[in-house]
Amino acid sequence: MHQPTAVVAPASTIYSTISQAECRQRWSRLTLCEETNQVKELHTIIRDRRTAGNDFIFYADRLIRLVVEESLNQLECSETNITTPTGSVYAGVSFTKKLCGVSVMRGGEAMEKGLRDCCRSVRIGKILIQRTESSSEPVLSYAKFPPDIAERQVMVFDPQLGTGKTACKVIEVLLEHGVPQPRILLVTLIASQQSLDLVFKQFPELRIVASQIDSDLDDNHGIVPGCGDFGDRYFRTDDDQ
Amino acid sequence: MDIPHLARKQSSQLLSTSPNLLSVDGQKMSASAAQLPGSAVSSSASSTGSLAHSTGSSASSAVSASVAALPVTCEEEGDVSCTSKVSRSASGSSDAGAQHASTKRRTIFTHGRPPWYNVDGQLKEAFVIGIAGGSASGKTTVAQMIIKELGVPWVVLLSMDSFYKALTPAEIERAHQCEYNFDHPNAFDVDLLVTTLKKLKEGKNVDIPVYDFNTHSRLPNTHTMYGANVIVFEGILAFCRKDLRDLMDMKVFVDTDSDIRLARRLKRDILERGRDLAGVIKQYNKFVKPAMDEFIAPSMNHADVVVPRGSDNHVAINLIIDHVRMQLNERGFLFREKIATARKDGPMPDTLHVLPRGSQVRAMHTIIRNRDTPRDEFIFYSQRLMRLLVEYALSFLPFQETIVTTPSNALFQGQRFNGTLIGVSIVRAGVTMEGSLRDVCKDIRLGKILIQTDEETGEPQLHYCKLPKRLAGAHILLVDATIATGAAAMMAIRVLLDHDIPEENIMFLSLIAAPSGIHNLAYAFPKVKIITTEVDREVNEQFHIIPGIGNFGDRYFGTST
Repeated sequence: MHQPTAVVAPASTIYSTISQAECRQRWSRLTLCEETNQVKELHTIIRDRRTAGNDFIFYADRLIRLVVEESLNQLECSETNITTPTGSVYAGVSFTKKLCGVSVMRGGEAMEKGLRDCCRSVRIGKILIQRTESSSEPVLSYAKFPPDIAERQVMVFDPQLGTGKTACKVIEVLLEHGVPQPRILLVTLIASQQSLDLVFKQFPELRIVASQIDSDLDDNHGIVPGCGDFGDRYFRTDDDQ
Repeated sequence: MDIPHLARKQSSQLLSTSPNLLSVDGQKMSASAAQLPGSAVSSSASSTGSLAHSTGSSASSAVSASVAALPVTCEEEGDVSCTSKVSRSASGSSDAGAQHASTKRRTIFTHGRPPWYNVDGQLKEAFVIGIAGGSASGKTTVAQMIIKELGVPWVVLLSMDSFYKALTPAEIERAHQCEYNFDHPNAFDVDLLVTTLKKLKEGKNVDIPVYDFNTHSRLPNTHTMYGANVIVFEGILAFCRKDLRDLMDMKVFVDTDSDIRLARRLKRDILERGRDLAGVIKQYNKFVKPAMDEFIAPSMNHADVVVPRGSDNHVAINLIIDHVRMQLNERGFLFREKIATARKDGPMPDTLHVLPRGSQVRAMHTIIRNRDTPRDEFIFYSQRLMRLLVEYALSFLPFQETIVTTPSNALFQGQRFNGTLIGVSIVRAGVTMEGSLRDVCKDIRLGKILIQTDEETGEPQLHYCKLPKRLAGAHILLVDATIATGAAAMMAIRVLLDHDIPEENIMFLSLIAAPSGIHNLAYAFPKVKIITTEVDREVNEQFHIIPGIGNFGDRYFGTST
């Protein structure tokens, strides 16, 4: 389990998330999942440091699925009429643009299953951003995208946005590959308010889908209250059992 | 003491060898009835014929034909909580086994339970027939003849024998010496009997004690009875108390000559139970006869009908049946037509919750509603939609605030649901949602209710019900793919209420809902939450939802032609 390196507030402070109303006001291109009771419960479970192993994976997967569904809602679609088995006409919609996922290693790969469960044969690219020993600035280590990524709607997956620096680097790389800003959707579970400010400042035409927005960062760039290191908990690399 | 059930089967076989004694049960009864012109056999033979025809079963002999005419369920005994099986409530395995032998192969059902509540969801009480009479007077035989000739499903036979009090060791000793009075009202747990019969009459799920005549104690397991439209209750002292009599809609007294009754007792006790003549006579003189004179015979005054000569008296029995039929017809009504036309308009109820309609939800509907969508895609997108539906439904559970510590050692204000969740699917289409229930709710217990529409009447009929144990306090997610008039959903909710689940703990989930179904459900059960992903326009004259999705079960399971 992730050991806290610094306590940023007295232990008596009880955190809640930044309200949806405040979020709407501050970040117009941010979409939050509807905060239903069970979304709140899912957050309660994955944020609880006692939640371990399979339980963390199970509840994180549930939350991811809901966030993925919400982010798919942001895609372009057009009206269409179909005929039902009763012979009636139903006014529906269908999607127009081709889609592509990009997972930010390693945490973002935890969200691939959620995407795959909704879009069975979707193409998924990968990108690895690491910090060098010498500086805290993120550096691109690896990227592999579908060749026609510039023609697709791109959903970037990263479960946590801490400082937002990694996300910014990812967007930069995508822009270099010819994907225009409005066609990029950054999908995350928990973002810090600092990360949103930074990303939207650099890329004002980008859209972000998230589930909850936290208020603080600790000295180690971790989100507070947060849910610890998502990748470590999901892939159980911090587990000594 | 009345005839112990375990010996009854044998006694009937023995007695039937005597041509003078017609009072027999089981297979022999059908044989004797077969000689009567225009009686039950013609009706039972014809109904069996249709059963055999529809299921390809080969019930051909006279014996199996008439036995199969008894309403029975398609499931193994003990695996059914709603039973339409006709057997003594405390019966051993022999009776039930004989009935099941000829019906086991039936997987398709022609007789389900029609609605036992009105369009407002309110209960119609079951019709209770009480049958009293002296020991060995042929009460059970009369009861079985009534049930068989009545020919309606969902009848239960409740025996007063099940309600004998458990004996103390001293009393058991006295019982062995024929010194314990089994024929006195005090030998029965009448309070429990009244409570049980009352609940059964109200359509509730009840546990019937199983009395062991060897140890004179109640066995730890109980026999569950649920879903009777007609209850036949028999016992020597069936009319012994006013509160018991008040539960009966019809009281029948079987008046068989005392010498015939004594002869039956002697044969049974001596030949089958190895008792000696002196002991039997002693018990008869000391307890059985005085009880007859003191309690049983005077209770004849309370009877509406007295049947002299017991099961031999076909005229009396036919009169009883005609009366009961008339009573049942007066209670019946065309349910589905009534609710299809009732309450179509008006504002949607507060209990209705529709999944927020994002473009994904609309796109999925567009795919699954399209008649040209291949089955593979139909299944995939139905399941995606169901998962969203189940997640959405969970947000209506009662949550409690809680504070947790995160890995960064911060305290977080959250909430948890601390109750129990149980899923119940309406077979067949509702079963398609079980996967989503399991994906979202770890280790959820799942019950099933099979409701089919009768092709002749269009009425919903209950065929099977198996609910998990420990229902108390649980929140129920009742799932079906679609809801048109709400007839099946109402029946399923009624089943849950009959199992003492409070209305506010029930959520009904469906992918698609028609306004008529929503209104009917909300009107009958105003506290049940109705959760759906889209509300359709209407239900047409064929009870199809418009624009609808077609037959969901057929499209999902690939059973359409």
